[in-house]
Amino acid sequence: MRILRKPSYRMITEAETPDDAPKKALIYICGACQAENEMKPKDPIRCRECGYRIMYKKRTKRLVVFNAR
Amino acid sequence: MYEPTLKNLTNVDYGKPPDSQNQILQELGTPHIDSFNYMIEEGLNLAISDLLPVEFDTKGKYRVKLTLLEAAIHQPRVPTGSLGVKSHSIYPLECRQRHGTYSGRLEIKLGWRIDDVEQMIIDRDIGQVPIMLKSKLCHLEKMSPKQLVKLGEHQDEWGGYFIIKGKERLVRLLLGTRRNFPTAVQRNTWKNKDKFFSDIGILIRCVKDDLTTVTNNLHYLTNGTAKLMIPIKKRVFYAPIFLIMRCLTNSSDEFIFRHIIKGHENDLYFIRSVMEMMRSLHESNIHCQEDAKEYIGIMFRPRFYELPEWKTNKEVCDHMLRNYVLIHLNTDFDKLKLLVFMLQKLFSVAQNKCLVEGADGIMMQELMLGGHLYLKILKEKLQTWLNLVKINLLKVDQGGQPSIGDMMTALRRCDLIEHSMTNFFATGNLNSQSGLGMQQDKGLTILVENISRMRYMAHFRAVHRGAIFESMRTTEPRRLLPDAWGFICPVHTPDGTPCGLLNHLTKSCIVTKSISRKVLNDIPKVLVSLGMCEASYKPQDINIGFVYNVILDGRIIGYVPETLTALFIKKLRTLKVKGKQIPETTEIVWLQKKEENILGQFPGLFLFTGNARMMRPVFNLDLEQIELIGTFEQVYLDISISEDEIRPNITSHREVTKTDFLSHLACLIPLPDYNQSPRNMYQCQMGKQTMGTACHNWHLQSETKLYRIQTPASPLFRPVHYDALSMDDFPMGTNAVIAVISYTGYDMEDAMIINKMALDRGFSHGSIFKTELIETKPHTYFMRDPFKEDLPDSLGVDGLPHIGLKLSKGTPYYSYFDEQIQGFIIAKYLSNEEVIVDSVRQCGDFTTGRKIPNKATITVRVQRNPTVGDKFASRAGQKGIFSKGWPAEDLPFTESGMVPDIVFNPHGFPSRMTIAMMIECMAGKSAAVHGVVHDATPFKYSEEDTAIDFFGKLLEAGGYNYFGTEQMYSGVDGRAMKASIFFGVVHYQRLRHMVSDKWQVRSTGPVDAVTKQPVKGRKRGGGGRIGEMERDALISHGTPFLMQDRFMDCSDKSTALLCLKCHTILTSLVQFKEDSYSSKIAKCRVCDSTKVQEIGIPNVFRYLCSELAAINIKLQLNIEV
Repeated sequence: MRILRKPSYRMITEAETPDDAPKKALIYICGACQAENEMKPKDPIRCRECGYRIMYKKRTKRLVVFNAR
Repeated sequence: MYEPTLKNLTNVDYGKPPDSQNQILQELGTPHIDSFNYMIEEGLNLAISDLLPVEFDTKGKYRVKLTLLEAAIHQPRVPTGSLGVKSHSIYPLECRQRHGTYSGRLEIKLGWRIDDVEQMIIDRDIGQVPIMLKSKLCHLEKMSPKQLVKLGEHQDEWGGYFIIKGKERLVRLLLGTRRNFPTAVQRNTWKNKDKFFSDIGILIRCVKDDLTTVTNNLHYLTNGTAKLMIPIKKRVFYAPIFLIMRCLTNSSDEFIFRHIIKGHENDLYFIRSVMEMMRSLHESNIHCQEDAKEYIGIMFRPRFYELPEWKTNKEVCDHMLRNYVLIHLNTDFDKLKLLVFMLQKLFSVAQNKCLVEGADGIMMQELMLGGHLYLKILKEKLQTWLNLVKINLLKVDQGGQPSIGDMMTALRRCDLIEHSMTNFFATGNLNSQSGLGMQQDKGLTILVENISRMRYMAHFRAVHRGAIFESMRTTEPRRLLPDAWGFICPVHTPDGTPCGLLNHLTKSCIVTKSISRKVLNDIPKVLVSLGMCEASYKPQDINIGFVYNVILDGRIIGYVPETLTALFIKKLRTLKVKGKQIPETTEIVWLQKKEENILGQFPGLFLFTGNARMMRPVFNLDLEQIELIGTFEQVYLDISISEDEIRPNITSHREVTKTDFLSHLACLIPLPDYNQSPRNMYQCQMGKQTMGTACHNWHLQSETKLYRIQTPASPLFRPVHYDALSMDDFPMGTNAVIAVISYTGYDMEDAMIINKMALDRGFSHGSIFKTELIETKPHTYFMRDPFKEDLPDSLGVDGLPHIGLKLSKGTPYYSYFDEQIQGFIIAKYLSNEEVIVDSVRQCGDFTTGRKIPNKATITVRVQRNPTVGDKFASRAGQKGIFSKGWPAEDLPFTESGMVPDIVFNPHGFPSRMTIAMMIECMAGKSAAVHGVVHDATPFKYSEEDTAIDFFGKLLEAGGYNYFGTEQMYSGVDGRAMKASIFFGVVHYQRLRHMVSDKWQVRSTGPVDAVTKQPVKGRKRGGGGRIGEMERDALISHGTPFLMQDRFMDCSDKSTALLCLKCHTILTSLVQFKEDSYSSKIAKCRVCDSTKVQEIGIPNVFRYLCSELAAINIKLQLNIEV
């Protein structure tokens, strides 16, 4: 519920951006403050909001179960 | 009396963190934490002041002296200079997830002098040392459940362990000899030490306030003398007792003699031996204290290379006496008095006037605690560190006066503490020069596995006797002795190798912590006010009859005349219960003098106030208050279990509850008093292997393996202790409807049938969470190869798998870019089992500038719903294998239409005699019918008021048969069964042993490189071994072809060429014929004969022949073709 109220939420999900961009960033969630961070490969692993060092990968919007018929 | 209820499950506040933590659960961590807190508050600086200053001359003949002045450990904090950090505290959760160490800075103050001129004190961090959770240095120490939950911990987190590289590690509680008490011991190995040595000795384990430990033995020699064993740096020395005594006092021989003889004036053998020992000292030309000290100094000088060469022999002797002889005493005279006491005891034991005590009884033991061991190791490492500073300073020394810059350069090179401390906790291996007075140097720390709540809890109460006893042939140390009553649980010990050595403390047992120094210093005064006479320097001339020596923590402080002792002790006990002047944790042991012809322990009045002793509460009948009693104290008290057992004027104490002698886990067994005893032991083991609710923060966990059950339930028949431990918060079983009936489908012993429909409804459904830490080298980063087309199906652009992805063998798992080889590396998932990615975490580190490895953790979830071959158990040690999922329609049903979830084989009952399981069956049924929960506390029912009658009547009231049986109908043909079937509800646990982790099958596969035989081990795809006994069976069955098949054809069959002339298989070779390259010929390389025969042999045989040839043995095969 809390996440949905955030206006920034829909702006930065990966489903919104085109799939083929190679330098595309992924969304990671901070383990301490739950802020959503865009992380690119080679970026230092640190929350931009609070400097915490553990980042959770966000669940993907893509279909991962293929044989669901 | 508290009765269990189910109310807490329907409570509106269920699941909300309470205001305070569960006290019983907190006590699981208390002993560990107390010991650690003692180290930080007192021990560390005691140890620092006890360190030997390092003195040396530099090249330029400057005399440098290094002294450690102070040391302090700080809370875990983010290092200064980290960017953008809001919270500077490091919490345990982060360390678990990042696979880091929960540690704080160790800061020291180093004082140094050059040519006796004080230099500026150096204040410096010398590394990060591990910190115990919930100790005074931990952020969690005073947090409320709410705060703990917010930080991702459990509300009842009790701490007491360390987090090392992401793993929870606990220092094992070890039982060791009681400190500062001269124990009379008989050991056969002592006889072989040297000429005249006997098997009798007095052993005293001396422990200082900073926990430094030295064990001294006083040996009895058959020529009537005694020698003191002094251990110095893992080597032992034996000194005549009078040589040491001479060093300790300058008094006359007569004075010493009268001291020793006091109270033993009639013992002519003793008097003669003492005089003989004194004479022999004079014969070696040692007449006074000076002579003795000089002699000892010369003898021991080469042992103490850490002492500078300008120390005199006398100083060397003083150093030796201070650090290696009765180190718990600070004055020479105290040491002398104790040596005298030990000598008296030794001769009394040697002449069979009193009994040997032996070190195996709990009464002669105390515990070794984590914080104390930590302190001992840290002390030694700091001493090594000081010496390392010296070495490094000498390296940078150019001959001039050492400057502060030189010191700093030297200090920078001394990285020792952090690595060695972390290494100790990570491996449990002790790396020490002195051995620290420990009996073992391996396996000192254990991994706190969180398989189920029971396993996790049990780790904190487990006490081990020591690793060396595990390999001993005698069963002596494994025995359960009567003095263990109330301290060590008689039920909760594993079977097999660690049986009786790995024990568990009872639920009421506590471990003493240190008492304040002020109270301790005042105790002698209090004792004098109660009627004790102070030990004077002069032996008494007037005879006041027999007196008891009062020995406080190994120091003789006075004596009490025999006639007054009973009253003295009574007054002392009153003060002890009050707990002001005499601490509550004091142990008062009065070893009374026995009548003639009755052997007992050597008399004396012993008081113990030290830490790490086991104590437990009992009810004092005189004072009508709870009193704590120790292991040694208990032996001489009369304690009744129930009110009606009290004998007037004899019984002094009563047990608080009847179940005080059981451990937490034993107390969770329903009605253990109705089971055959080994069944309760099995349940203690199986409870710890149950798949259950190990934790609540599944999404935050990064343990290697976690078991989880999906549909747990609260048991309907449970002891009160179940609620006391809040076990409903971590449920671990399911209530199953069982029918005890001979039915079909029991394919082997202890098989059980489970209703297929129950399985479909989710009976015992579960999963395993596995976390893997992926570490890639520096100069790499996680990224997906953009040019591989099928990668986006499984990996995100960050090179890590999508969450929710199904992984099977060969699926891309993660990928990273290596800057050094300029290419992508893609790792595939390797396990055969299908799993689902549950969570992916990337773990950063502090900004240090150094290139560090990339870390990510991937947690996967494995579905593990019950399959044939999985293991289940009731709570009565009745384990069984799920043998067949039977359709509900084929199972028998009762008149009311109930179909059992589990069909239990009735043959499981007669030989196991688990009556409690039958009672549970009735009680569970009654509880389910009436909507209540029944109490299963042990000793609740008796012969007059039986459990069966109680539940039978309840069942009758619910409309069932009194005996819990029911009329059943066959599920196959619908006919009524003639026999009534025992039918009810039992709480079943699912154990973690599952076929999916165990099955092993092989046709062809990997073989050993040398022998060409199939490898062993499930992990490597090896086979099951057909060993010697299987071979015997095949022989006895007369099946040689099967043997041939198993041992040759399916193993390492090979062909070899045998030269029929040399009779060996090593010389023949196939080669081309000399004249043409078209055809080949087999020829012996030694004798050039072409009479070569091809034979089939096992490959190892060829290997054997070559090995034998290498040691010049020829193996001839005399075969005729």
